[in-house]
Amino acid sequence: MAVRATPAALDQSPGSEVQVQATSTPSPVRPRANTWRRALRRDWQLYSLAVLPLLFFLIFRYLPMAGNIIAFRRYLPGGSLFGEEWVGFTYFQLFIDDPGFWRAFFNTLILGSLTLLFLFPAPLILALLLNEVRTRLLKRFVQTISYMPHFLSIVVVAGLIFQIMSIDGVINQALTALGGDAISFMQDPGWFRTIYISSEAWQTVGWGTILYLAALTTIDPDLYEAARIDGANRWWQTWHVTLPGIRPTIVTLLVLNTGTFMAVGFEKILLIYNPLTYETADVIATYVFRIGVQNGLFSYATAIGMFEAVIGLVLVYTVNFISRRTVGTSLW
Amino acid sequence: MVIPAATRHAPRPTPRRQQVTRGYRVFQVFNALALTLVVVLTLYPFFNILARSFSETSFIRRGEVNLLPKGFNLTTYKYVMSDAVFWNSYKNTVIYTVVATAIAMVLTTCYAYVLSKKHLKGRTLLIGIAVFTMFFNGGIIPQYVLISGTLGLRNTIWAIALPNAISVFNLLVMKAFFENQPPDLEEAGAVDGLNTYGILLRIVLPLSKAVIATMVLFYSVSFWNSWFAAFLYLDRKELWPVTIYLRNLLAGAMGTSDPGAASDVALQTAANIQAVTIVLIATPIMLVYPFIQRYFVTGVMLGSIKG
Amino acid sequence: MALYLPRPRLSRRRLLAGAGGLTIGGFLAACGGDNGDSGGDDLSGNRVGAMENYGVGDQFKATEPVTFSILMQDHPGYPFNPEWMFWEELTKRTNVTLDNVVVPLADYNDRRGVMISGGEAPMIMPRTYPPDEEQFIAGGAILPVSDYFDLMPHFQDTVNKWNLQGELDTLRQQDGKIYVIPGLHEAPYLDYTLGVRTDILEELGIPEPNTVEEVADMLREMKRAYPDRYPFSDRWSTPPQPGANSLLAVLSDSFGTRAGWAWQHSHWDGTKFVYPGAMDEYRQLLEYLHMLVTEELLDPESFTQPDDLAIEKFASGQSFVISVNAQTVVEHRDDLEALGGGATIAKIPRPVGPAGMITFTGRRENGIMISSEARKSENFVAMMQFIDWLWYSPEGKMFAKWGVEGVTYTGSVEDGTFQLAENIDWAGLNPGADELLNADYGFFQGSFVYGGSTALLQSQFPEEEKEFQQKIAGRESLVAPPKPLTPEERERAALWETGLRDHVDQETLKFALGQRPLSEWDAFVSELERLNMNEYIDLINGAYERYQEEHG
Repeated sequence: MAVRATPAALDQSPGSEVQVQATSTPSPVRPRANTWRRALRRDWQLYSLAVLPLLFFLIFRYLPMAGNIIAFRRYLPGGSLFGEEWVGFTYFQLFIDDPGFWRAFFNTLILGSLTLLFLFPAPLILALLLNEVRTRLLKRFVQTISYMPHFLSIVVVAGLIFQIMSIDGVINQALTALGGDAISFMQDPGWFRTIYISSEAWQTVGWGTILYLAALTTIDPDLYEAARIDGANRWWQTWHVTLPGIRPTIVTLLVLNTGTFMAVGFEKILLIYNPLTYETADVIATYVFRIGVQNGLFSYATAIGMFEAVIGLVLVYTVNFISRRTVGTSLW
Repeated sequence: MVIPAATRHAPRPTPRRQQVTRGYRVFQVFNALALTLVVVLTLYPFFNILARSFSETSFIRRGEVNLLPKGFNLTTYKYVMSDAVFWNSYKNTVIYTVVATAIAMVLTTCYAYVLSKKHLKGRTLLIGIAVFTMFFNGGIIPQYVLISGTLGLRNTIWAIALPNAISVFNLLVMKAFFENQPPDLEEAGAVDGLNTYGILLRIVLPLSKAVIATMVLFYSVSFWNSWFAAFLYLDRKELWPVTIYLRNLLAGAMGTSDPGAASDVALQTAANIQAVTIVLIATPIMLVYPFIQRYFVTGVMLGSIKG
Repeated sequence: MALYLPRPRLSRRRLLAGAGGLTIGGFLAACGGDNGDSGGDDLSGNRVGAMENYGVGDQFKATEPVTFSILMQDHPGYPFNPEWMFWEELTKRTNVTLDNVVVPLADYNDRRGVMISGGEAPMIMPRTYPPDEEQFIAGGAILPVSDYFDLMPHFQDTVNKWNLQGELDTLRQQDGKIYVIPGLHEAPYLDYTLGVRTDILEELGIPEPNTVEEVADMLREMKRAYPDRYPFSDRWSTPPQPGANSLLAVLSDSFGTRAGWAWQHSHWDGTKFVYPGAMDEYRQLLEYLHMLVTEELLDPESFTQPDDLAIEKFASGQSFVISVNAQTVVEHRDDLEALGGGATIAKIPRPVGPAGMITFTGRRENGIMISSEARKSENFVAMMQFIDWLWYSPEGKMFAKWGVEGVTYTGSVEDGTFQLAENIDWAGLNPGADELLNADYGFFQGSFVYGGSTALLQSQFPEEEKEFQQKIAGRESLVAPPKPLTPEERERAALWETGLRDHVDQETLKFALGQRPLSEWDAFVSELERLNMNEYIDLINGAYERYQEEHG
């Protein structure tokens, strides 16, 4: 029975892969020399399933990508799609020399890290709490309520933030009732990050539980049974059965979130920041928006976009590598 | 390593025989409190929006509408719901959502299944092809030229349904689910003479109801709420989805800060038209959720092919 | 976390990044290169449908049915409707059918940019706010319309009659040409100002204020009587920055600088361009604001709160003063009536300040861009004549604005007998009428109604607004000379402008709210210098001088 404590599906050791190969495919050959010809002959049905998706990526994602060339060429809106002339790294040089860009860059890093730190674990915790709810009706009720903010337009959410945080807002009413002084939250750069993160939490945590709850259903109940027989209490079960059971989901989300952590909520920040909070609130997205949209500086924006993309890719690969080495689960 | 399949997917049993410790009871109390807090915090704005949608403009303007409607009336509901444009947009939204979600599910499921096969040669490359597109894209203008010009999809449903048919995020989540499934049922299927398609259709998919439900939910919500593709590729008003209707209302209400348009008429819409439209748009998609939720709560019941 | 949510966010990267793409034959056609022959060029192949002799006073009617594509806004106040009487009557009068590319107003500019860049721009693109057209010039996608002004007799007549050459010249680009046909006003139209609770003025015995000092005094009186509230809580603080944008724009005229909506990156002081944010006049404006804030006359949240909140405060009597235009003042009045207690509101004249009776509000407004592709159309001449008639002839203007005589209106605006039909309302002219001129008939739309004579403008006002307009008439409109940049210069300028403006916006609020003492003004100016203010202004002045040499 002890073997079951490690679900087969999670066993990432090379041995199990071999086993999968040997049994799930018609070919009995252990592919020592794994040539393409052999792979194609053996797995052509699998490859055929990938044809349409690959076409999708080719047409709708990779073809337009040629446009990135304008990071190195001067582009004029309405002119040639590929830009007018080579300018080398001019646009990269421009933003590297620009102190405004770096302020935005570090603000992005900080907001991204805070988001990852607080908003990545939160849905997991909420999902685990929900999982402990005995009453099915109650569980459903809480779930249904908690995902609702996801449907609110950002414009509406921004309006709510102002209502709540204003001088006469609920929070300041509470503060003054407790004998404190009212704070003009929206004008204080020191409060911006707190406001941003908590409003994001409010809007996204409930929705984020959906994936974990779906993952929880795939855990083999036998594992809990086994753990109980071994005398494990609920904590122990959560730690040794539940969490490992949804590890692939956790790791997938962690890697993906890390990779895109530069992509902080542009539209929301645009709606709730102001010059007084630029110091902490201005992120790359809003900065490029102010420079680029009115002026049509597509080349400059593309250069910054490429810079961000490279950071994202490096992060994804790094985190994926680390998680493969440490917990043995990874995206690929 | 082989686990008896018959019990694997039984619903999570409640711990009948387990003794409930004092610590666990304390935890249950704490848990109930925490969840109650979540519910209360979440609900307030919704009651507010609902209350606004049923209230009279002047009360809203003075900030007097909180949790209950003031000057209860249905005027704006009647107004919006008698608007043929609104219902036409609504119909479009439903069609786009259904078609786009169907396409997205087929493509995503196929690719995720392929990617979940660890032995597959070139798998890393296939994953890389997808992951790369999360970070690099061609930008809006090449996309526009491709979809509108080259492919000629402007003013068709395909401009909405095709360009966003695979969300890499959803793809990788689905792949993680497939990987998490024990291989023995598939092995059994292969032994029974099923080919890859058969295994996918008859064994893997029925076992993956939870993830399929999740993905259907994710895709349909995102298509339901999406406006950008419609804004870009549809310039016939009768083709617009309802989100464009709402977006125009909301953006207009935020103040177009357009002093030059002095000769233009500012918005004269009732103060609660936004609230009404939000309610009307969000309600159906929220109603779908409880049906899908079943799959997360009860787990997947399935007879085993092994018998 | 952003990633969980496949919800629709306006992705900045999608909007901006990457503009390269596929080589697709037809779509490169709009790109530069083939415009060299424009200017007095051969139009013989483009006269299909055009009138042989079309001049001032003539009704344009195409000699055969023609169709022009046009970018059309879908305005939430009057949602686009293909069944409007406007379309039918337009075709009846001009033989022109408009092929509408309908775009939601909220994202009009983004969509226009994409269509132009993608080579699919409609022929006619109204509602273009200069300098928005500048970014498209170098790419060759839009037409130098000034080469074809000779096809537009009414337009030229208007420019001459109202002496608008100076205004027109500010639109000239590096090549001396104009790329947008602007809306033209006979007199500057000043709409935005402060709205004041007149019942409070009466109650406290305060006369209507005319100067910035009198406004401050009025607020002090209000504060004395109602010490528990801020008498003035302002709106229009949503982007673009910095906030309280209408108030700042009004005060720009008072103090003789540029701020808020009236912000320009350079200001013509009569001999050269200077940077507005570093002008002494700007400092005076800030001192004034700072005084209002420290005396608790102006709500500090004025600079950051959303409009709804400001409106709430005003509607519930927590504040007595708010920025308004002709439209919002009517809405506030409705709110106040619901409040009861005889609360009333009226516009006060824009307060005069040290700069005297001047305004930087010009006599031109947003205008029409034409795509370069349109020039190749066999109907090109007819299209220019059509634009001339609809947007610039008195008959066309009257039609676009008020519709059909005897159906939607009676009388004439010149002799003051104009009357909107009883069953039709526009902006409260016929309160209680059950149909709306714009939403139900398609007249008085932002895309077709630009500028015009003062008489035509007056016809849209209720008595109250006419009085207001008389009070503020006679302000001198100051116009800056052209200073067009090359594409390379524009790129550099855009980066400097953003850095400078961010700093000005940020410090403007800090100074106004007292987070930074005004004694640090000199330090602030040197900060601007470190952000390349002098280099920027040199660039602008250089462009001005270059233009004077080449075209002056």
